[in-house]
Formats: sequence, C-alpha cells, structure tokens
Amino acid sequence: MLQSRSLRFALPVLLAMALLPLGVGGYILGLLTIGCYYAVFAMSWDLLFGFAGEVNFGPTFLIGVGAYTAALLNHYWLWPIPACLAVGSLAAVIGGLVLAVPALRLTGPYFGLVTLVAVLMLQNLLVLFAGITGGEIGLDLPDVLSIDETTNYYYAFGFMTVTGAILFGLSRSPVGLILQASGQDAVEAAALGFNVTKHKIAAFCISAFFSGLAGGMLVFYFSTASVGTVVDIAVGVNVIIAAVLGGRRTIIGAAVGAIFLVAAGELLRPIGQLATFVVSAFALVVILFFPGGFLGRLLQDGGRE
Amino acid sequence: MRLMRTSALTGAAFGLALAIPGLALAADPIKIGVIAETSAISGVAIPNGAKLAAEEINAAGGVNGRMIEIVEYDDHNSAADGVRAFQRAAQQDKVVAVIASYVSEVVLALEPWAGRLKMPMITPGAASNDITKRVHDDYDHMKYVFHGYLASTQIADAVCEGGKELLIKQLKMKTAVVMSEDAAWTIPLDEEYLKCLPAIGLKVLDHIRLSPDTTDFTPIFNKIEGLKPDVIITGISHVGVQPTVQWQQQQVPIPMYGVSSQATSSTFWKDTNGAAEGVIYNMVSAADVAVTPKTIPFAAAFQKKFGNVPGYAAYTSYDDVYMWANAIKAAGSTDPDKIVEAMEKTDYVGTIGRIQFLPKTDTFAHGMKIGPGYIAGLMVQWQKGNPITIWPTEAATGKATFPAFIKLPN
Amino acid sequence: MRPLQILIDGFAISSLYALGATGFTLMFGVSGVLNLSHGAIMVVAAVIAWYVAGDLAAGPYWGALAGVATALAFAFITYRVIVRPIQNSPSIPREEKEIFVLTGTLLWGIMLQEAIAYLFTNNPKTVRPLITGVVEILGVRTPINEILTAALSWIAIGLLWLLVNRTRAGKALLAASINPRGLTLLGFELSRIYWLVWAIYGVLAGIAGVLLGAFLGVSSDNAGTLTASAFSIVVLGGLGSVSGSLIAAYVVGYLETLTAYTVAPSIRTLPVLLLLVAVVYVRPQGLLGRR
Repeated sequence: MLQSRSLRFALPVLLAMALLPLGVGGYILGLLTIGCYYAVFAMSWDLLFGFAGEVNFGPTFLIGVGAYTAALLNHYWLWPIPACLAVGSLAAVIGGLVLAVPALRLTGPYFGLVTLVAVLMLQNLLVLFAGITGGEIGLDLPDVLSIDETTNYYYAFGFMTVTGAILFGLSRSPVGLILQASGQDAVEAAALGFNVTKHKIAAFCISAFFSGLAGGMLVFYFSTASVGTVVDIAVGVNVIIAAVLGGRRTIIGAAVGAIFLVAAGELLRPIGQLATFVVSAFALVVILFFPGGFLGRLLQDGGRE
Repeated sequence: MRLMRTSALTGAAFGLALAIPGLALAADPIKIGVIAETSAISGVAIPNGAKLAAEEINAAGGVNGRMIEIVEYDDHNSAADGVRAFQRAAQQDKVVAVIASYVSEVVLALEPWAGRLKMPMITPGAASNDITKRVHDDYDHMKYVFHGYLASTQIADAVCEGGKELLIKQLKMKTAVVMSEDAAWTIPLDEEYLKCLPAIGLKVLDHIRLSPDTTDFTPIFNKIEGLKPDVIITGISHVGVQPTVQWQQQQVPIPMYGVSSQATSSTFWKDTNGAAEGVIYNMVSAADVAVTPKTIPFAAAFQKKFGNVPGYAAYTSYDDVYMWANAIKAAGSTDPDKIVEAMEKTDYVGTIGRIQFLPKTDTFAHGMKIGPGYIAGLMVQWQKGNPITIWPTEAATGKATFPAFIKLPN
Repeated sequence: MRPLQILIDGFAISSLYALGATGFTLMFGVSGVLNLSHGAIMVVAAVIAWYVAGDLAAGPYWGALAGVATALAFAFITYRVIVRPIQNSPSIPREEKEIFVLTGTLLWGIMLQEAIAYLFTNNPKTVRPLITGVVEILGVRTPINEILTAALSWIAIGLLWLLVNRTRAGKALLAASINPRGLTLLGFELSRIYWLVWAIYGVLAGIAGVLLGAFLGVSSDNAGTLTASAFSIVVLGGLGSVSGSLIAAYVVGYLETLTAYTVAPSIRTLPVLLLLVAVVYVRPQGLLGRR
C-alpha cells in the first residue's frame, strides 16, 4: 500500500523532471542539478537514520572523503573522471568503515558526536595540508563533467533516480525491515536472531558509497573542490534538515526536501541575506507542526485509507 | 516606381514608429552582476560602490542610450554559492559583465566559469596571485577575467615601500615579526614580505601563520613579544577586530603595521571600542586623500548615501562599473570578446589612481599596472577615531603616533 | 616566565569555557536536552551588551545587564517555542525526540545567527570591558579584564553551586538530574524544574557570552564554533556531569593554549579533537560521566 502510494507520487514527478529540459532555461536546470546531488546526500542519510536509527551528524565526512579523493586523483594524476569517481566512492566506503565499526558500539549522542568530530578533523586536515589539498582556496580540477546545463542535469537526474530506486528498494526489502527493527529496538532485533551490527555496517557502507559518489560528481560539476561545498558542517546540516523536512523513513521524502531547500534558497534570493533566516524558520515550523515532513503526511494518510 | 517609394516611405514610417517608443522608453538596460558577501562590511561595500557608479552613469545618460542596471547576488562567502550566483547571472539574468567578491577563494572558483560561460569578470578586492597567473597561463580560456585589485605580491611591495620611510627612516626600526592568517592570499604575500622586508633593512625574526578561526590571540602576541621585534607586520583579513582589541587590552608594546582589511572599514573604530588607535594599514585609496580628483568626491557621495566611509573594495568596485561601461561603449556591443578586447585597452583615471591592465605576456596578465603615476597605495593609521593617511609623504594628512603602551626603539 | 604565562592565559580562557559549558551540561543532566542554539544565544548576549553599552551609550554595566537579560529571555523562548512543543508532541515517537530537539534548536540557532548578522553585520564586536588596564603578575603582564573574566566566571559557578546545594529548588534540580521519575513521585512538578534549569542556563550562557565579548570579541560567525566547543567539553567531561565539564574545560583550555604556544597557533584545536575521539572510543561516558 505504502509502496504503491510512494510510487504513484514519485513516477509523475520523475516523468515531469525528465521532460523539464524541453521547457525551462539553463539556469533552473543548473539549480536542479545541485538539488539532485543534495537529494542523494539526503537519501543516503535517511537510510542510515530513518532505517538504521543512527544519527549521523557528519554526512559531509563521507561526502568529503569521496569528493576530495576523486578531486586529488584528477588534479595530480589526471585520472579520467569515471576512475576518479569509482576510487572516490570506494574511499568513502573505507572511510565510513573506519569510522563506523568502532563507533557503532556507541549509542545515543555518542555516535553522533564521533561523526561530527570526524568532519571537524577532515576539515582541519584539509586546511592543514593546504599545499596538497588547496586548503580553503579549494582545488580546481582540469576536468568538468560537462559545461552544458542540459547534459549536467541529465547526469544528476539519472544518478538521483537510480540511487533513489536502489535505496528505496532496499528500504522496502527484508533487509530494510531488519534495519528498521534494529533501529527501533536493537535488543529485540538481536533476540530475534538478526545480526544487528552487520546490518548496520552494511547500511553505513551503502550510505557512504552513494554519499561519496555524489560528492565526487558534485565536485566535477563545479570543477572545484572546496571545503565550503562538500565538507563544511553547514552542508551536513542542510542534508539533515532536508531529510527531516521531507519526511524521515521515506527515502523519497529526503529527495523532495533537498530539492525544496535548494530551490527555496534561490527563490528567496531577492531578499538577500534574510533568505537563510526564512528557510530555517520555515523548516522549523514544519518540524514543529508537521513532524512527519512533507511526505510523512501524504504517506500517513495513505496508510489510513 | 511610385509604389516602391510609397512602400519605402511606409517602411521608414513603420520603422520610426517602432524606434520612437523604443527611444522614449529607453532600450533594455545593460545589466552588470555584482557578487559579494553582503552581511560583511567589506562585502557590502562592493554592491554599494557599484550602485553609486551606476546611478551617476545613468544620470549622465547611460551607455549608448542604455541604462546600467546592477544585479546583486549574495555569495555568503562560499565558493558554491558564488558559482551558483555566477551561473544565474550569466544564464538567467543575462548580465554582460560581473564584478565579483573580495575573497580569493570565491574568485578562484568563479574564474574557470568565467572562461566556460565567456562572461567578462573583474574582482574588486581579492588579492591572490593565482587570479592573474591563470590568465597568463591559459589566456585563450581565461581572458575574460580581470584583476581590479592589487595582487598579494604587489600589496607586500607597497607595504615594504611605505616601511622604508615610516619604519626605517622615521622610527629607526631594525627587526620585525610577520603575522599572517592562513589563507590563499597570504601565501604570496608572506613570500614577498620575507623577501622585501630584509631588503629595506628589517630583519624578520619569525613568521607566524594563524588560523583564520582564531579567537584567542594571547598566545600569539606573547610569543611575538618574547622575540622582541620592533614591529609586527600584519597580513590579516578574515580576522581583524579581535586581534586588535586583544593587542590593546594586553598592551602589547609593539606597533602593528601592514595589511588589515577589516581596519579599512569605517565601523572598525566602533567595533573595536577604539582599540584601533595606532594601527597602521595599507589601502589603495582613503577618504581624506585626493589620490585622484575623483577620490574625495566619491568618498563624500558614498558617505552621504550609505552613512559610512567606503571600505577598500567600494573604491575599486565603483571604478570597475565605470570601466565596464567604458569598455562596452568602446566595443559598441555587449559581445564578451569585444568587451574584453576594449577592456584590455583601458586607460582610466579612477578613484584609486590611473588604471591600465597588464598585457597577456606579463606574469600578472590582466592585473593592474603598479607604480608611481598608476596605482601606488597608501599607509593609513587610525588616530582618535579617524583614519589618517601617513604615507606617501606628499599625500599624508598627518604623522604616525602611537598609544602610550607602545614602546618604540629609542 | 613562559610556563607561568601559559598557566595564566590558559586559566582565563579555561574559566570562560567552564562557565559556557556548565549551563549546557546541567540542562542535559536535568532534562536530557542538548541545546544546539547555545552558541547563538551567547552571541546574542554579547552583541546586545555591545549595542546597549556603545550605541545606546548606557555604559558597560547596563550593557552587561541587558546582554544577560536578553540571553535569559531567549533561553525561555527556546524552551517554550521549540523544545517543549517537541517534547510534548504526540506525533513524534519517543526515540526520535532527541533528533528533533537537536534539529529544532539547530535551526533556531541559525535563525538567531542570521538575524544578528542582518541587524548588526557579521563583523566581530567587542564589549567594552568593565575595567581596563594591565597588572604584572610575577613578571607576566596581564590585562585586568582577563583576571576579571576568570573571577566572574568562578563567582557565577560558585553561586550555582550554592543554589544547587543550599536551596530547596536547587536540591530538587539535583534530584531531577539523578532520577526524574522518583522526583515526580515525591510531588515535585517536573515542568517547574525544567523552567528553573532553563532560567539558570540562560543566565549562565548570558554571562559567558558577555564575558567572551569583552575578553576576546564575538562575531555571529562564531555561533557554530561556540556550540561545538561547549559540546566537546561536555562530552569530554561526561554528559550531564557538571564537575566533569569543569575539569574538561580546563583540559581543553590548557591543551589549546599549550598547542598555540609550543607547536603552532594554526593547529590550536586539532589536539583537542584527537583527544575527544580517543575519549569517546575508550571511555564514551567521558571523564566523570555516569552510565
């Protein structure tokens, strides 16, 4: 029931988005391109939080490791983009494992704290080794995905659709249910004979893989890797807000929230500096009054039918 | 034959009918995009300076009958937001040229996009040497970028040049410690400091780089004081108020001299509660010095309109609008390649001096020509709430003085 | 002379850290709330103090008072408008209240930060110190304001100690941090205790903000860093343990000062992060945390 309803919502939207380049200009496509990458960040985060119950305060650790690995390979060794992306996402998975295996022993705010500290360390290291990483200035890359907005848009859109399908499928599969069970009550899930830790690590790896890949692609879209784009805490905060705003445990909601945030930030550009204030206030109102987020409500209604 | 003439007349009449309302309503405005961090004082100076220039140009009839329209974007001091704003400016708002940011990180992220989208761009305040180096290395792609501010190396040279008179001749100083923030623009700055300071006769005892996130400068000042230098040579921009206040509170007996971007803003005195007294900093123009005949009228008009003395990037962004307008006028079109070609021929006396851009063969390709008669630079000191120019001597409106806690050699 | 200098400078900044973290940890201990708008509230206090003392020409004392009062008001608003509705909301599952409170206070903190940047720009502001000038302590020139900062921090912490240990309301507070359910059985209303802890929190954060503004200067951009540093200190000391965070504040303060003096000022915060990771892995409950 839930599934069909989510799909009924998702398919027309995806179809409309696929046809969008016929109707709108390059600028809106550019905006949505960034929105799609953010959507992947948010969906990956949602898999970990919504389903495995682990609050990852540092999504940008995974994103940043993937992005900077890809960027460094391209900058120094001129590897072709696909190879950079592959190694980048692998690095994010390894980074995720190094972080997750010991950290999953911890519960409550401690897991969140480790992930937060991981971001701060990554940021410190990037700035410290500015000679190699470009530090705050960022690293400019010889290659770019494409300078044509439509092509870029289709890359990002296709990537988001595939990722969304995989993550959504996963969340509705038996594995997803086990994850959800262990997120809500790990002891009981373990008592039922499920290997909770193994499943959580798997979730972390998947989340890391897509985060890292999306980070790498975003970097090649801008053809600049900078701390402010893929590592800064503020980016991670936006990812979390997007997922909560769109509706936790829905995967699709996270994508909607992410695109909404990017679009809202831009629509409000005329009010200048106050844009961030208004977006934050709006997000706050949503989580206070509609804690299920945009989609939570929609899907909940569906459940009642 | 007659028929033809009639139709020709009709055509002409028709054409006139089309053209007249066009004239009356004025043609489409020429849009210039301004990208800056508007919540920062040095940042908001950029759109403000630009708007003032646009108003004046429009009051004088615009460019080829078209008005100048400034489109503002806030980059929140982030490279990603900057790139997004740049894309919007180029693709959605169809601006013909961009004036972008005083932060090197943002400008360097925009630079490749200026090349890709063939969008003429100038920065009124970023200082990294890489901005012009890229133009030099890859002229065909990067020729759209102009550097409307001094490169770090040039700033360091100006600071040393002023030091020769102020520090060596007047104050008989012998030793210095360089204190810079860890950022893109200070790498070439420090490199040049370490070369030019010994050349003017100041021995550099140590070279300290601090994190731009630093809030507690006590350890840094204590370390410097332990080395007993005669002067602290600064290279700070992201920080400014905090080190100045702590310098005064701790009564560090060593003067601060060099680059301090926050000190160039008129609110610096208030933000530091007057701790700025005695701080000497570099500027290309100051409100009290007629660097050119345009400087003082501009500063007065700016103060009248916005209520504060223009920060350093206000002068340059004001000049930048005029230079774009002149280039568009000279090119007779808004075609980017033609604008760039016309811009390269710029010879314009603005508020900061006489501006010419260096040719593509120069290491500072599309950077400004520096030296006597062109852009020179001033050393300014905060004295009792007012910025007073103390160097070069012929432009000076006062002499260097220091608060009581400063101990000068002899 | 150098070790003494490190000792003195480290002490002032550590005392300030301790004050900033005390309210934060007390609140977690009593009500389980981690308030991520903490740094923003400190910034608000400092900027209001700066504004009232300078622009409104009311002098440093009124400025400081206005700053603390504003922080108190914003603490109440944070509780009433954001935290309490989330805690009482029937549609948020219990195990997710924590992330909602975190996200909610985070958004609120961003709003405060942006509002300050809009109204007063993000330029750092410095509150005029109550007393200016310097004294020599065994050959180390120390600003009187630095001594005052340390002293006021400890007076505030001392008053808190008296409040908690010597008054009825304070004892109830202490009991609530150990066993909230038991306390309700004794007839105490938890909601009144929550209001009390937010009041204490607001005053402490306000004093910390004003002192920070006078000692180092504050910009709206610092809000995130301030929250993160309070968070790290509290975790290092053990969530909810006031004495633990006092010790942790000194560990952090001295480690930072030592790094800045002896290694390099640019990596000041790195050793603290490393220590934090080590502590979280080896002893997640922190130095004095209970589990």
